[in-house]
Amino acid sequence: MSVRAKSRTLHSHLDYARCDRKFFIYLIFFLGILLQNCAPTRFVKPLAKNQNAISANLGGPLIHFGKAVTPIPFTSLMYGRGITNSTTAFASVHTTALLFGNFQTDLGVCQRLYKHDSLKFGITINPALNMIYDKWNKNFRAWPQLDVNIYKDILKDKAFVYIGLTNWFELSSKKAHNEVQKNHALINPHIGMTYNTKKWGYTLECKFLQMNKKNIPNIVDYVGIQQRGAIGIYLNFTRRF
Amino acid sequence: MIFFIKNTHHQNSHADFHFERSREAASQKTMKRVQGDIKVIMFFVLLLFSSCLRLDDNFYNLEDKITEYKLDNYTGEQDFILDNSYHIADSLIHHFTLSSKGSQDNNATTIHAIYIGSISKIQTDTVIMYCHGNKWHMDFYWQRAKLLAHTSGKNKYGVLMIDYRGYGLSEGKPTEDGLYADVDAALQWLKLKGLTNNRLMIYGFSMGSAPACELTNKPRSMAPSKLILEAPFASADVMANDASGLNMPGSFFSNLKIDNAEEIKTISQPFCWIHGTNDNFLNINTHGEVVFKNYHGIYQEAHRISGADHGEIPAKMGFTNYVNTLSIFIRK
Repeated sequence: MSVRAKSRTLHSHLDYARCDRKFFIYLIFFLGILLQNCAPTRFVKPLAKNQNAISANLGGPLIHFGKAVTPIPFTSLMYGRGITNSTTAFASVHTTALLFGNFQTDLGVCQRLYKHDSLKFGITINPALNMIYDKWNKNFRAWPQLDVNIYKDILKDKAFVYIGLTNWFELSSKKAHNEVQKNHALINPHIGMTYNTKKWGYTLECKFLQMNKKNIPNIVDYVGIQQRGAIGIYLNFTRRF
Repeated sequence: MIFFIKNTHHQNSHADFHFERSREAASQKTMKRVQGDIKVIMFFVLLLFSSCLRLDDNFYNLEDKITEYKLDNYTGEQDFILDNSYHIADSLIHHFTLSSKGSQDNNATTIHAIYIGSISKIQTDTVIMYCHGNKWHMDFYWQRAKLLAHTSGKNKYGVLMIDYRGYGLSEGKPTEDGLYADVDAALQWLKLKGLTNNRLMIYGFSMGSAPACELTNKPRSMAPSKLILEAPFASADVMANDASGLNMPGSFFSNLKIDNAEEIKTISQPFCWIHGTNDNFLNINTHGEVVFKNYHGIYQEAHRISGADHGEIPAKMGFTNYVNTLSIFIRK
């Protein structure tokens, strides 16, 4: 192999991989890139009893797109209702998924486990069930999810910051072609902040998706940390009534 | 008194009237809410069933457009460039078009093909049908085709390569059925020139592993006698599994039916698999190893190329070693 060929190979290799990935990103990104990570935590703090809320979410994992870095624009809509002052039930529809012929929903509750009034912080959990059905091949999948959050009120209770874990569980022991499914828990730490007005809530959340999984080799060019997982950015707009 | 009673009666009937009205209003409100809910549900149901966005088209990488085939004069990006010792005489390079018509096509599509070797010797030569990957066009794969033309010696075997519909100068739009129809059109041409099944080898690189597997498993015009797969992918399901980390089916994003991992199970012809251990595009463990493991035919051999990424196998193996490996397999 000539020197010219070697040098060309090295240079072209990077371009080759990047270019093909760019196309495969489209192919995979929608659901492949983690349908499980297409929304922020549904509720960090429960609603008041009988209070209702609807919210719209936008955002997803960051990927390299050409020379830029961009979040994948997943969208979903959610409705929640306060059952008690410490329990809120919610249901969502994933609108981006819908456009591709997949009905995806997550149904669950937000339960406050602990609240400290003077220190203004609390602990909540969100057990939920994520379900996806595709109209094309009639495939159905369901994954349990458990989000755990610790929040702290700030700015005279107008806002709160939170940290937590979004956990997805794969119950199947097999994956495609009867291969053994080794990953059964996908743990995604997140950090976020919500600012509330009288009727509206605005949330910005950042997740470290699939931190326990190497992101190469893979066909999606994720932006991760030390070749692990992917960083996700999410926006959430909530209207309470 | 009568007046009082009348008045009371009037007051009662007035209260009843108000009660009825508020009940009616409440019932109307509930009805409106239910109707609103039904509308919202109907909207989502309609959206679900009217949605047709799929990512299939993006499977095909047609980014680099060309107006003519330049072959050795092509200066665009390539995986490697061979030196002059791999030169092919112009008289042995044949560029022509084929007419391809699949079962789902109303009209035939014109596709471009290049044959390396002497066409008159097809009736006695061994021929490698090279099915290229999902990227670009034959100019990009020209060096690879030239390299294959050196298997067992310069121009010992003929090599046929095509641009699938939509690729390079070939007409039309790529589809999964089109891939199979186009490769079959090439095989029809070879058959017409006198090639027999026992001298036909089929080689699939990356996406090209799909038509190579399909037409070996379910032969149309010709049945290849041996199958070679370089960096094959297993299936859309594996792509979805890899990307999500979950047991997620490929049908959630694509209608592609390509499933080499299943197709290989019923292939009996001898099979040679080559895959780079550093393939950052199609993981050797989740794609290549699964295809290799699922083969139950009469003979199989594996070449795991240490440190090679997706497009690097011939260069990492060394060109001589690469053609020798193929030569030994074909001659077996």
